[in-house]
Parts: sequence; C-alpha cells; structure tokens
Amino acid sequence: MKQLLTPKKLAIRVGSALLLLAAVMFVCSMIGTETVSLKAVFTGGGTEASINPDYVIFFRIRLPRIILAGLVGAALACAGVVFQVLLRNPLADPYILGISSGAGLGAIIAVISGFNWTLWGRSPIAVFAFSGALGTIWLVWFIGRLTGKFHVTGLLLAGVVVNAFFSALMMFLTSIAKSDQVYATIFWLMGNMKEGDFLVLWIAAGCVVGGIVALFYIGPQLNALSFGADDARSMGVNVAGTRIIAFGIAAGITAVSVSLSGLIGFVGLVVPHGVRLVLGPDHRQLLPLSGIAGAIFLVIADTLARVIVAPAQLPVGVVTAIVGGPLFLILLVKYSRKVNWLK
Amino acid sequence: MNKWLWLLLIVTCWMAIGVAVFGFREGRGHSSTPLPDRIGRIVSLAPNITEILFAIGLGDEIVGVTLDSDYPSDAAEKPKVGTFWQPDIEAVVAAKPDLVITLGFEQQKNLAERLRRIGYNGLTVNIEKVGDLFAAIEKIGAETNRQRQANELTGRIRAKLQRLATLVDTGDNVRVLWVVQREPLRVAGRGTFVNEMIELAGGENAIGPTVHKYPPIGSEQVLASYTGVIIEPTMGGGDIKGQRDRALQYWSKFKYIPAVASNRVYVIDGDKVSRLGPRLYEGTETIARCLRPEIFKNIKQ
Repeated sequence: MKQLLTPKKLAIRVGSALLLLAAVMFVCSMIGTETVSLKAVFTGGGTEASINPDYVIFFRIRLPRIILAGLVGAALACAGVVFQVLLRNPLADPYILGISSGAGLGAIIAVISGFNWTLWGRSPIAVFAFSGALGTIWLVWFIGRLTGKFHVTGLLLAGVVVNAFFSALMMFLTSIAKSDQVYATIFWLMGNMKEGDFLVLWIAAGCVVGGIVALFYIGPQLNALSFGADDARSMGVNVAGTRIIAFGIAAGITAVSVSLSGLIGFVGLVVPHGVRLVLGPDHRQLLPLSGIAGAIFLVIADTLARVIVAPAQLPVGVVTAIVGGPLFLILLVKYSRKVNWLK
Repeated sequence: MNKWLWLLLIVTCWMAIGVAVFGFREGRGHSSTPLPDRIGRIVSLAPNITEILFAIGLGDEIVGVTLDSDYPSDAAEKPKVGTFWQPDIEAVVAAKPDLVITLGFEQQKNLAERLRRIGYNGLTVNIEKVGDLFAAIEKIGAETNRQRQANELTGRIRAKLQRLATLVDTGDNVRVLWVVQREPLRVAGRGTFVNEMIELAGGENAIGPTVHKYPPIGSEQVLASYTGVIIEPTMGGGDIKGQRDRALQYWSKFKYIPAVASNRVYVIDGDKVSRLGPRLYEGTETIARCLRPEIFKNIKQ
C-alpha cells in the first residue's frame, strides 16, 4: 500500500514540523544556567549604567544562540541528504569529502597566526574555516573530475585522501602550537555554539534557507538520481547540471555552518536517515523535513550542552553524538524492514 | 527558470535588508562605555587573574571566577562562571559585572569581545612571560584604581627575585630537564615561562631551542641532555609521593644521566609553578631549592 505524496500532505507535514520547531525553540529559550523571567525580559534593555541582565541574557545571548543552532542543524541535515544521494552512499555526511579537515586546517592556521581582528563579531577562525572548507571542496571536486566525469568512486577517494592529508597537516601544526592554541583548536573541532551577531544570523539565515529552497526545487531530479545516473538520464534529467547545483549548494551551506559553529558531527548523518526511515525517501519531502528535524535536534542538543554540566559547558558535538547514536539505532531497528536503502 | 529568479531576488533582498538594518550598528557600541568611578563588581576568567585581584586587595569586589580558581582559598567560595576554556557567558552577565578580565587566549579574548559588543567593559591581559605578568598586574591596577597596590606587589616580587638571584649566583648553572608528561616524554622548551623560572632560579634548560613550546623528546635526547636535575611538577595537585615513586621507576632506565645517577629527580607541587601569577617568587624558590639544596639547607621556606 503505497501512498503518494500530495502537495497538501506535504504542506501539512512541513507546517506541523515548523510549529514543533517553534515550540521547541521557545521551551529551550526558557532553559539555561540562569533563570530568566519573561516579565523582566520585556521591561527592556535598561540604561548603559544599569543593564538589565534578564533582557541581555534572553535577547542578546540565548535567543541568537538558539536560532544559530537551528540554522546550523538545518544546513547540516540537508547537506547530508544531498551528499547521501549524490554519492549513493548511506555513510555519506556533509564532511565526507574533506570539508571538515579543510575547515579545521583553516581554523588552526587562524589560531596559530594569532590575528587580532573581527568581522561582524566573528573571529578570524570563522573566516579561515569558511575559506578552508570551500577551498577543500573545490580541490576534491577538481581531482574527482580528473578521474572521470563525476565518477563517484574517484570523488570519494579524492575526498578521503585530501581529508587524510589535511588532517596530517593539522596534526603537524597542532604539535608545534602552544598549549593554549592547541586547546583553542580542539574545542573548535568538537563544535561549539555561541551567540551570533544579528547581522551574521540574518545573512546565515538567508544562505541556509535560500539553499534549502533551491535544493527543494531540484527534489524530483534528486529522486531520479537516487536510482543511478543512467536511469536518471533515461528519465530526461540533466544529470551533470543537477549534480553541480546540488553539490555546490550543499557544500556552500555546510561551509557556512562550519564557519559559524565548528565541526558538529552526526547531525548530517543521522537526521537524514532518521527522516528517511520514518517518512520515506522522496526528496521533495525529505529535504524540508530533514532541515526542520535537524534544527530541532541541534537546538535540543545545544540546550543540553549549555546546562548539563553547568556552570561549565559541553561542546555540542559531544552531545549530538551521545544523544544521536542511540536514537538512531532505535529508529534503525524499528523501521529498517520498511526501507530499501536509498531506493 | 522563473522560480529560480524569484529565489535569487528574494535572497538578495533579504541580504540587503539585513545589511541596511543591522550593518550600520557595527560602528556603534564599540566605543567602550567609560568605567564607573569605583569598580564594585569584577568577574575574573582565569585563576591567575583571580590571584592578582586578591593580591592587590580586590578580593571583595570579585563576583565571579572560573571553576579552577582555587587560590587563595577565598577564591573557591566565589560564584562560578564556567571553566577557563568554556566560560558561561550567561553566568557572567547574571553576575552584573562592571569589569570582566580575561586572558589573551582565543576562547577568552573571544568572550571579552562578545561581552564588549553587548555593552560590558572587558579587559584582556596577556600573561605568557614573566615580563607580561608585571605588565598585567600594573594594567589591572591602573584600570581598577589600585595603582599603588599593584606597584607595591610588582616591587615586592621583583625585590624577592633579585635577592634570590644573588643567592644562587655561583657562576655555574645547573642543567634542568622539566618534565611535563612522561608517556610520551614531553619537556618544557626554551620559549616557555617555566624556562624563565628555571633561569631565575639559577638553572639552565637541558634542552636547547626547539620548534615546539613543549617538545616531545626521545631517549637519545634525554641521554644527550646530560641533565643534572629532573623536575616533574604534579598535575592537578595531589599525591606527590606516589608520583615520585612512579617517576623514580621510570627514570631508573636512564641510570647514566647525572640526575638519575645522583638521585636528583624531584617531584614538586604543580600548583605553584603551573600558573604565572603573584606566587611567581614562591614557585621560583621551590625550583631553586631543588637546584641547590645546599644553599637553602638553613633557610626556612
């Protein structure tokens, strides 16, 4: 009994998922190491001499951080969906082609060089990580092209080798860095959320949401591609064009999220599979719902990271793996009989 | 193709609105608000900054410290605002500080910058070398109207170090291997403040210049260092005797180097020598006692 995905059904599902996301974000904004009273929050920011801490904590620290977590979660989950279908590999995640090590290398170079400027409140680490991520993905793509016209195995191998090479460079730099620089890098590599400036949030939201909408546009082509390039071609899909668009957008939103929050693992692997297991593999539905589920997942994980060892904080990457692993196994056991992987 | 144009248009407009609304705020808020005449509430984000504040008489003004601020004992009683590496910005704001003092490390500097953007006063000091320590004490003193106390403190430390220098000035320097980790073996290199403390105590690092700050070294370099003394600071306080037993057992395989042959492997309390703070002299004296026990035989600590 196969039910077709109608636009109405899709709209209802996306709408209710968005409502759930809003509810989760509201609840999480009430949770934190400091108790914030909503009444005090809405009395305003206070004067320069006496700042209203409730207002500052809520609007300048907690809310921006929650929004950022949502954006990063959505970007990683959608990028995960795309890499899984493009590489036709269930193990693919946004970092599989070396984005992580490229960004990591950029980050450690920024830490070691000790630059002392900021761009919209973002440290040089963010800028370098972003450039490192995009540079790496371009390099991998370029090498992959040399091995044949988008040969998936060639691309994957290029990714693995570039990843290993940059990781080795990172280890070399880490070993000669000062201990405080090493720590700075390690915490960055584990993924860390912090509140963002409004402008950064605004621009990141534009990139991520715009990217997800664009991916949603090519959902039908991605559906065809998941059967293989030849089948897709026979269905009249422009394979090369679809691949380049999907690949570019997925790499772009991954680079944005990496530059905002470091390397947060697991979201991009687990969330797409989870949604696929529960709701099926249609990309028109998989993309928006994975995005929303990724946002919900990371907002919750980050809230746990904020409070679980208070007053200290955990790197959010630790929480995503600890929470995500068992959750995913439950889904896997419960639903796997229904699903034929990636078909 | 139409829907793509629409998407592009909407995203472009969105970005433009963002830059128009938030972009102009960039210039604002950066002019740091003038400090109040009397600073009543200070948050310290590093254990050695906490020590400096207590040493210049600002202990009562501290309203937040990191979890590892354990000296002086009063510091441990203060409200906690997270760890040194992962400060909790919400807790810092909730402490309603007039001034937040951080070190110059990436995480710390970054937090100070974020707080400044919200409208708090931040002070960032670099304490990586002995010279930095004196500069930092005086900078903190100047910022908190405690110049006199700060100058007295640096004067006191300098005078004591001077006295120590004349005491240990015997013409020849003892060679020291400063072990930070045994497996794999890592020692303090020449670019560290530990190296400066060793020199102030009348010693010389047995390891020459290295690329690493804390270079990992092999057995060959240990033998070649021909070190007269081995010092191991304890990590995270605690069991000095147990660590000394393990150290002796480890070093027994290098019985040809002078330090082991003459039984001069010392395990000292890491608390005094692992942070660069107002207890610089006490740490340096501890090292000097290991290097020249004969001089200090009759001098009480």
